[in-house]
Amino acid sequence: MKLSEIIVPGRINLNLKATTKDGVLEELVNLLGLRTPVRDTILQTLRAREELGSTAIGKGVAIPHCRSLVVSKIIVAVGRSKAGVSFKSIDKKKAFLFFLIVAPPVGNPPGDYLVALGTVAQAARLLAEDKRYKKIRDIRQFMKLVEELEA
Amino acid sequence: MNPQLRVLIALQDILMLLRDAKDPGQKRVLGKIGLKIDKLETLETTREDLENQLSPSLLGEYRRATERYGRIVAPVIGSICCQCFVRIPSAIDSADDRNTSLYRCENCGMFLYWVDK
Repeated sequence: MKLSEIIVPGRINLNLKATTKDGVLEELVNLLGLRTPVRDTILQTLRAREELGSTAIGKGVAIPHCRSLVVSKIIVAVGRSKAGVSFKSIDKKKAFLFFLIVAPPVGNPPGDYLVALGTVAQAARLLAEDKRYKKIRDIRQFMKLVEELEA
Repeated sequence: MNPQLRVLIALQDILMLLRDAKDPGQKRVLGKIGLKIDKLETLETTREDLENQLSPSLLGEYRRATERYGRIVAPVIGSICCQCFVRIPSAIDSADDRNTSLYRCENCGMFLYWVDK
C-alpha cells in the first residue's frame, strides 16, 4: 500500500485556515464530504482519540485517526497549514501537515487499518524530511511529490 | 439520523477505541509510529456521558448486548447485516426512514445502520 494510492485530490487542502487543533479536525473531516450526522459522529470519535494522547508524531506531522461504524472503507484526507498549528506534539513543535485516516470497524485485528496508518506515517516522514511540501502551491504538485518520494 | 441511533454508534466507536487502546499488539504498532496512547480514564468519562443520553430501556439493552457481543449496532453494507451476514428483507432495506427510525436485524437482533457507499 502507498499513500499515493489512497489519497484523492478532492480530499486534499493545502491551505488550512484553522488555528486550533479542533478547527483542523473539523476542516479535515469536512474534506470527506459526508452528511452532517455522519460528519459529527466521526468528529466526536476523533476528539475522543485525541483525548487519549496527541496524534502529532513530531517533525511537523499529525495523523488524526479513528475507526468508525459510519464508513465502509478506509478514507484519508490531507491538510497543510502554512502557519502551523499547536497539536500537542511529542517534540512540542507546531504541526504543518495533517493526515486524517478513518477506517471501518471490520477486521480484528484491524490489519488494513494499521497498514494504512503505517503507510501514512512513513510517507509523512519522507515529506517532513524533504520539506518541499511547505512550498508546493497546488494539489497536482503535491500528489507528484508524494509519488516521487514513495518511488 | 435517529438521535438514539447516533448515540449508540458513538458509544460503539468509543468502545472500539477503548479496545484498540488496551490491545498490546496495537499499542506496540502505534508506538513504533510515534503515536502514544494513555489517559484512558478520559475516554471512560466520555462513554458515561454518552450512556446518560440513552433512554433507560435502550441503556439496558445496550449494556446486555455489549456485554455479550461487544456491540449493539451492525452496519448494513450492500443489503447485508455485517454482524450475522444475513440479507435484510427488501421491505426494510428500501424503507425511506432507514437510519431515521430504529430498525433491528430480524436474525441477530442488532440495531442496523445503513452505511453510505
